[in-house]
Amino acid sequence: MRNESKTVAVLGAGTMGSGIAIVMARAGHRTILFDVNENNLKRGIETVHGFFDKSVQLGKLDATAGQTAKDALVGSTDLADLAPCDVVVEAVFEDLQVKKDLFGRLDEIVSKTTLFHTNTSTLSVTGIASGSRLPERVVGTHYCNPAPLMKLVEVADGRHTAGWAHKATEEFLGSLGKVSVVTKDSPGFIVNRFLIPWENSCIRALEAGVATKEDIDAAVLGAVGHPMGPFRLLDIVGLDIHQQVATRLYEQLRDPRFFPPPMVERMVAAGDLGRKTGRGFYEYDNTRLFGS
Amino acid sequence: MNQFHRIGVVGLGTMGSGIAQVLAASGRDVVAVEADQTRAEAGIAAVGAFLDGGVARGKVSDDEKRATLARITTSTSLSDLADVDLVIESVTENPEVKREVLAAVAAVVGDETPIVTNTSALSVTALAASLPNPARVAGLHFFNPAPVMRTVEVVRALQTDQDLVARLVTLVDSLDGKQPIVVKDRPGFLINALLLPYLNDVIQEYDDGLATAEDIDLALKLGLGYKSGPLEMLDMIGLDVHLHATENAYAATSDDRYAPPPLLRQMVDAGHLGTKNGKGFRTGEKNTR
Repeated sequence: MRNESKTVAVLGAGTMGSGIAIVMARAGHRTILFDVNENNLKRGIETVHGFFDKSVQLGKLDATAGQTAKDALVGSTDLADLAPCDVVVEAVFEDLQVKKDLFGRLDEIVSKTTLFHTNTSTLSVTGIASGSRLPERVVGTHYCNPAPLMKLVEVADGRHTAGWAHKATEEFLGSLGKVSVVTKDSPGFIVNRFLIPWENSCIRALEAGVATKEDIDAAVLGAVGHPMGPFRLLDIVGLDIHQQVATRLYEQLRDPRFFPPPMVERMVAAGDLGRKTGRGFYEYDNTRLFGS
Repeated sequence: MNQFHRIGVVGLGTMGSGIAQVLAASGRDVVAVEADQTRAEAGIAAVGAFLDGGVARGKVSDDEKRATLARITTSTSLSDLADVDLVIESVTENPEVKREVLAAVAAVVGDETPIVTNTSALSVTALAASLPNPARVAGLHFFNPAPVMRTVEVVRALQTDQDLVARLVTLVDSLDGKQPIVVKDRPGFLINALLLPYLNDVIQEYDDGLATAEDIDLALKLGLGYKSGPLEMLDMIGLDVHLHATENAYAATSDDRYAPPPLLRQMVDAGHLGTKNGKGFRTGEKNTR
């Protein structure tokens, strides 16, 4: 796969964008990390470099491989730099118009055969694809957070996605060491479609006083085979993120199981967003999300 | 007396034999009652096979296996429960059968001996109400397989004596690798109240063509780190068992989330029960529709 090195752009240098850029550079693809904001871009590149430095420190990569991966990455704030790309992956802010506009502008810059991947988690792939004059090249590729560690990518075709684009996407994801599952372009795909109502029902059980948060977490761990109880997981995901995703899914599905329970709104209002603020359902001494 | 030393287990099916094993492994004497000798022997054989697996993996020594089996005595007569400190009922999940068995148990052990039921779907409060001195009745809900799953729900019926709840918590705490969770007697208690709607939802979405059964399971395992995907879990639980549980919860709550999805009922009608007969969502023929 490494001999088929491609030129890949990742748009948006936030958590997901930098994570996906790590995946691309690690797989040996020439990677352009794009962000309109110079500071975001700098932070994103630091995240990628930091990841590879840490991997070398931990002995997971040898020093040469670490340097090669770092060298594979360049940053840009100019869309015109994306002209040579074989694949572009957008991971910008979850806003339909922003994503559509981006694909529309890229139409003018890249070749007609460039694949357009959207990492949306809650918007419709078809809707985003409608921003491109060639919607047949647009495929939904939903990575899990943290992207460098999680193997799963949900692949969803829009209404107009072409068979060649889907096939090329699955092959490309294979070259990244990812495992793809194929799902319909429906709200929440597979993981969020089932996770959000599950988390909401756990929150409602807590609101109803069925058991304490500690007991619910422990009971789920010991009876269902989940790696983490629902409240520990919500604290890592972030209550604000849960609220956003749940609300977006509810707006599309109009099914009350997706609507974030009142406790979520209260916690977000209080700034108790989870680990990243030091307090969510539980309290934390440090705000590191992973590896602490 | 605060500890239960000699415990009766009524019903040696999958759950009953697992519970008997866990209790015996903790050093307690177990009197296991089944309807006939064949079933009693099958139950003991299941315990033996489970322990053999433990021996093969080096988790159980031969001596421990022998000692555990030696602490379980079987009987086909409830009258052998006369001198136990506690009875755990684990017969089939049918309210009439349970009520009949519990009444017969109560007639043998008298009004003071605590009686607990391992129901997962029925109201403990309703079962308690049918017995003399309902304050000595509670639920003790083990998950399948009982020797493996850590969580045990201690179910407090409306009538249950608080002291009995505390004694049951102590009992579960003393069992190897078990953690008691005290819950109210609500339909599905804690775990099934969360799990049944989730599993129903997955079945409906699968029927609606969201993704293949393999990809649904794979997505949740890789994306969320679940040990088993929902459709393999359903196969393991048994589609008939799940149907029965969710029908009961639906009857008790009139909550749509518990309403059995049509495909579930059809699969049970067609005799596709999951792992136990090799036909399910992920078992057997690729296309289970």
